[in-house]
Amino acid sequence: MADDSQRNFRSVYYEKVGFRGVEEKKSLEILLKDDRLDIEKLCTFSQRFPLPSMYRILVWKVLLGIIPPHHESHALVMKYRKEQYWDIHHALRVIRFINDSTPQVDVFLRIHQLESGKLPRNLAFPLEPEDEVFLAIAKAMEEMVEDPIECYWLVSCFVNQLNSKHKDSLQQLPKILEQYLNIEDNRLLMHLKACAAMSKLPYDLWFKKCFAGCLPESSLQRVWDKVISGSCKILVFVAVEILLTFKMKIIALNTAEKITQFLENIPQDNTDAIVSKAVDLWRTHCGTPAHSV
Amino acid sequence: MAQQGNVGELLSMLDSPILGVLEDITAAFKDNLICDRGPMLVNNLVDYYLETNSQQALHILSTLQEPHDKHLLDKINEYMGKAATRLPTLSLLGHVIRRQPSWKHKLSQAPLLLSLLKCLKTDTDVVVLTTGVLVLITMLPMIPQSGKQYLHDFFGIFGRLSAWCLQNPGHVAEIYLVHLHASVYALFHRLYGMYPCNFVSFLRSHYSMKENLETFEEVVKPMMEHVRIHPELVTGSKDHELDPRRWKRLETHDVVIECAKISLDPAEASYEDGYYSVSRKLCTSLKHHQTDPSASYYVDTQSSYGTSTPYSTPRLTLSQMPGQLPQILSPQSIRQSTEPQQVTIWSPSAVCGMTTPPTSPGVVPSESSQSASQPYSKAFGTSGGKGTPLGTPATSPPPSCTSDDFVHVSLPSAAATPSKKEDKPDTGRPLLYRQQNVINSDKSLDTPSSKSSVTLSDLPEFLGGLSFEDSAEKDREEDAISKEISEITTDAEHMVPRGGFDSPFYRTNESLSGSQKKTHSVASSVQGHSQTSEPLTSSLDKPGPESARETPKQTFTPIDKPCGGSGESPAGNREGTSGETSIRTPSPYKVPAQRGVVSGSGQPPLYEHLFEVALPKTAYLFVGKKTEELLKKAKGTQDDECVSSTSPVEVLDRLIQQGADAHTKELNKLSLPSKSADWTHFGGSPPSDEIHTLRNQLLLLHNQLLYERFKRQQHALRNRRLLRKVIKATALEEHNAAMKDQLKLQEKEIQALKLSLQKEQARYHQFQEEHENIVAQLHSQIRQLQHDREEFYNQSQELQTKLEDCRNMIADLRLELKKANNKVCHTELLLSQVSQKLSNSESVQQQMEFLNRQLLVLGEVNELYLEQLQHKHTDTTKEVEMLHAAFRKELEKAKLCVQQQSQRLDASQKRIAELECQLAKKDHLFLEQKKYLEDVKIQARGQLQAVESRYKAQKRITQAFELEILDLFGRLEKSSLLKKLEDDKTEAAEAAEERLDCGNEDTVAGHSEEINGRNGETKPPSTRGSSSSKGGSSSELSTPEKPQNQRFSSRWEASVLLEPSTAVPLTVGSLPSSKSFLGMKARELFRNKSESQCDEEGVTINRLSDALKTELYKDPSMETKESSVGQLHIMDYNETHHDHS
Repeated sequence: MADDSQRNFRSVYYEKVGFRGVEEKKSLEILLKDDRLDIEKLCTFSQRFPLPSMYRILVWKVLLGIIPPHHESHALVMKYRKEQYWDIHHALRVIRFINDSTPQVDVFLRIHQLESGKLPRNLAFPLEPEDEVFLAIAKAMEEMVEDPIECYWLVSCFVNQLNSKHKDSLQQLPKILEQYLNIEDNRLLMHLKACAAMSKLPYDLWFKKCFAGCLPESSLQRVWDKVISGSCKILVFVAVEILLTFKMKIIALNTAEKITQFLENIPQDNTDAIVSKAVDLWRTHCGTPAHSV
Repeated sequence: MAQQGNVGELLSMLDSPILGVLEDITAAFKDNLICDRGPMLVNNLVDYYLETNSQQALHILSTLQEPHDKHLLDKINEYMGKAATRLPTLSLLGHVIRRQPSWKHKLSQAPLLLSLLKCLKTDTDVVVLTTGVLVLITMLPMIPQSGKQYLHDFFGIFGRLSAWCLQNPGHVAEIYLVHLHASVYALFHRLYGMYPCNFVSFLRSHYSMKENLETFEEVVKPMMEHVRIHPELVTGSKDHELDPRRWKRLETHDVVIECAKISLDPAEASYEDGYYSVSRKLCTSLKHHQTDPSASYYVDTQSSYGTSTPYSTPRLTLSQMPGQLPQILSPQSIRQSTEPQQVTIWSPSAVCGMTTPPTSPGVVPSESSQSASQPYSKAFGTSGGKGTPLGTPATSPPPSCTSDDFVHVSLPSAAATPSKKEDKPDTGRPLLYRQQNVINSDKSLDTPSSKSSVTLSDLPEFLGGLSFEDSAEKDREEDAISKEISEITTDAEHMVPRGGFDSPFYRTNESLSGSQKKTHSVASSVQGHSQTSEPLTSSLDKPGPESARETPKQTFTPIDKPCGGSGESPAGNREGTSGETSIRTPSPYKVPAQRGVVSGSGQPPLYEHLFEVALPKTAYLFVGKKTEELLKKAKGTQDDECVSSTSPVEVLDRLIQQGADAHTKELNKLSLPSKSADWTHFGGSPPSDEIHTLRNQLLLLHNQLLYERFKRQQHALRNRRLLRKVIKATALEEHNAAMKDQLKLQEKEIQALKLSLQKEQARYHQFQEEHENIVAQLHSQIRQLQHDREEFYNQSQELQTKLEDCRNMIADLRLELKKANNKVCHTELLLSQVSQKLSNSESVQQQMEFLNRQLLVLGEVNELYLEQLQHKHTDTTKEVEMLHAAFRKELEKAKLCVQQQSQRLDASQKRIAELECQLAKKDHLFLEQKKYLEDVKIQARGQLQAVESRYKAQKRITQAFELEILDLFGRLEKSSLLKKLEDDKTEAAEAAEERLDCGNEDTVAGHSEEINGRNGETKPPSTRGSSSSKGGSSSELSTPEKPQNQRFSSRWEASVLLEPSTAVPLTVGSLPSSKSFLGMKARELFRNKSESQCDEEGVTINRLSDALKTELYKDPSMETKESSVGQLHIMDYNETHHDHS
């Protein structure tokens, strides 16, 4: 890599010794300095290292195609995005789908619906499951991003990416989960199977909503880093890690309903550790993330 | 044995009357003693002494040196054990000890001491006891620190003897007891003085016992009344006073004086420390008390004793006791009084065993007998003649004589004071001291009242008459001598009244000091003179109230010293008068006065005060010298004295011993009863034991005398020491005075120096001012000069600027000059060129002329050749040649051409290479451009995507709007239709229409639903298509619109088919038109954008649009045909729009 020459030669050793993320910020800055952003490299970077929070939104926007790789057009494109957002917003106001009191998340949903042409005839229409997913993700994203426009675009593009790019692989995830759980902890898997809880695990929450609402935002960001950069397998490992972490409790629970209920409301105190372990697990099982994209 | 014999011989010769032999023998003994270390000789000597009582032997024994002391002590110890030899042994021991041998410290370890103590404890002989006690008392100060171990023995002895005094167990003669008592009293003093704490504790323990109480009351208590509290009782302790360190500092005489200090007894005490006034008062009052009631002569004699022996206490006891003793002694005293003033060898003091030296009695009478007009020399001579029957040196009397003389001389002058004279007859008896007093008072009167001139003038005259021209010095010499025999003088003083008057001696003694004091007080103040003189006289007259009168006198004591000195020592007085009277300030006389009193109380150190009086005056002119001389003299006289003073004593001893036999005769006449008051036996033969008693008494007296002499020696020793200190102090004072003088001189010098310093400072200031002035001047000069300099500087600057200007001008001129030169050069050059051109043109002209001429020549030639040509035919050869030449030339030309061609080829080839290179570059450039273009494209695509999504959003918005509008329209029309239906109601059609309406409504709803569903289905493909058709292919574009149109139209048709009624088709029909219009718009937009790319496609689009138009045209036609409702506005709008487009 050409960037490696610019990076600190010690970075390799840092990683070897166990210091991760020493030079990441710098290398990311180097990457972001390129005029035409290399999306491939950014993807690799995001897979390999946790993103510094100050560049996270930018990287996500680039990776999700909200802004083009050229720095020059960023401002213009963002202007367009903004106008588009406000146009739709205005339209929705005109047709009285939203008003001032409408929650931001609903606004996002309506805009998304309008944009995708799925706007219901009137407000009374019940929400569809995909709308629920959108709302959950938007809620999580709203916590992470301050600017509503950026937030909307991120949510929208993220959902679109999930729906388009990962649609097939998402459906495979429960199976993969079972497989890895078998490797990691056979006994737990047996217990779950014995409880017939395997099919009733909160797959929607985990894989469709990408843990939005399950993990706190700080942990969620790190999971989404990987997802946005193209690896949805990380979701499986997060799920496995959650199961492993709360193994004792899960084993203590006998019924599938209870397990599901517990897993839907896991305690949020040490989720950072869970995510870190999950990332490690993911690395060990999928090798170098750079090549497993 | 030979030696033994030799010793015997020597001993026998020891007492030979021949002096030469005596000396030889003595020398031989001494040699023997030095050579021989054995005890034999000493033993022999002791034996001899005990046998013969030889003085020579005694002398040798008492001067024994170190190695023989042991033998001597052993021998004495040996004899001490035997009762027969005890007494002489003791007296021998006493003699030896009084000599203070160098080995005296060994006494404490010697067994002799033990045996002595034992003897004192056990012996019953009073004489032995008394002698032993005296020896012990003498010994005690010599061995103070070793007394510790025998302390209780001492105390025991004291207790025993004190009890003895009272109880008299041996029933010895009372007279012995008196002696014993005296010695016990001395022992008491010594013990109390040396070991106060121990002694007091002993007394406490011993006399707390009942059986001893009486002894205490009778004997010890009176003794204690004569001592003051010992300071050691307060500060010291039992152990401390036994501490050897305490004694180490003190010599024998120090110890003696220490003991004397604590005594209140005037006879015993020493008043060195200013205790005298109190003690004196006490003792005088005591004396008065004693004397007044008894008024017996015995007491008087006792008081005379008192000068030497501490008899105050026994006196008291005796006086209270039944008057046995006075009776016994009275004859003596009577006899003494009966033969007063007689110039005889026989002195009463000798009889009484007085310590007074034998000379004094001789002197005193001479004094009194001598007339006032007698010159001093005569007095000296007479005294010498009279006073030395006993071998007394003639030197002793002078002081007393001089004092006498002085008294006499001053007597006439004393006539000025009548009151005194009046007193004289009154008193009568104390004439001598009265005279002295008068003189003294006179003197003291004179001096303060500045009448000293008379006495001063008188004195030298008188002294001159006395052949004392060198008065002061000689007198001082005399003083020195007199000091040596201080004892004599003091005693003489006391003796005078005693001998002269039969009145009690104590009073003379007393009044002497008292009168002295008074005179001093008189001297102190002129005003107070008369007042003080009266008490003086009265006190003299009445001894009784004198004690009471003493107090006012005491008040004067601080001031009244000097005359005491003068009165006591005429020499000192004379010194004062001959020197300077003004010196007689009270302060320097303070000490002498005290000394005088001390001497008056019977203490030996008289010469001290003489010195003290003399010394302050030495501060004057020949002070230092005199003191030195005096010291020398004193030393010399001392040395002399040692010989001279001892000899009379020995003589006295001998006299007493030898004269005892002769004396017994007289004693027989006097009949002295021993045991009872046998007054009636007067004149009868005394019993034989009476003689024995007297002898013993004599012996005791002798012992006493020897003891007192020892004491005196101690005092003398001490006095010498003190004198040395005094001299030193005076020398230091002198030194101080000299230093002060020096200091004054130096101060003066300093002042002078200060003055000069001030002067110098003033001068310095002046100089400084001048200097400053000069400096100021110089400064002003400098300023002026600086000013000048500045001016000059300015001028020079001006000049410099001028110079600069000039230089500039010069430079300008030079430049101009250069320019001018240049011009000149240029013109010269031009000129030369012109000239050259001129020459050239000339040469050209010449050439022209030459060429013209040639031309002319050639023309002529040409004409010639033309003539020749005309004359001759054309020549072929010439032609061929010409052709050849032409061909050749052509060939050359061709060759040249070829060359040119090849060169061009090369050039073109190079060009080609260059161009290829350029081409490659261009290609590269193109690539780069392409890349860039790609980049830009991508960028644009990104932007475009954004725009497109926006556009799509817009589209969605519009759709939403349209839906909304349609919805609203639908509602509006429904309501209006309902109204119409209500208006044009036909009953038949009503039901059917209603039915239809219901179905229509349903269909409309279904349509809308359908549309919604279709939209949901169709949209994804459309978006997909739009996203894929970036280039904007017409076929793909058209497809989404056509089906829509068709669909709408079909729907419309269907609706028409279903119900050919008015409203619904119209509404539906309007939709496609608007839709098509929007599509047109989009197409137009698209076309505008990508016109250049797809020109061909544009044709199809046009065609399509045409088709659409036709369709649209159809629709309105149908609409117009079938509906009359005013919905045409939109259509019209559409049409017009189409027309325009």
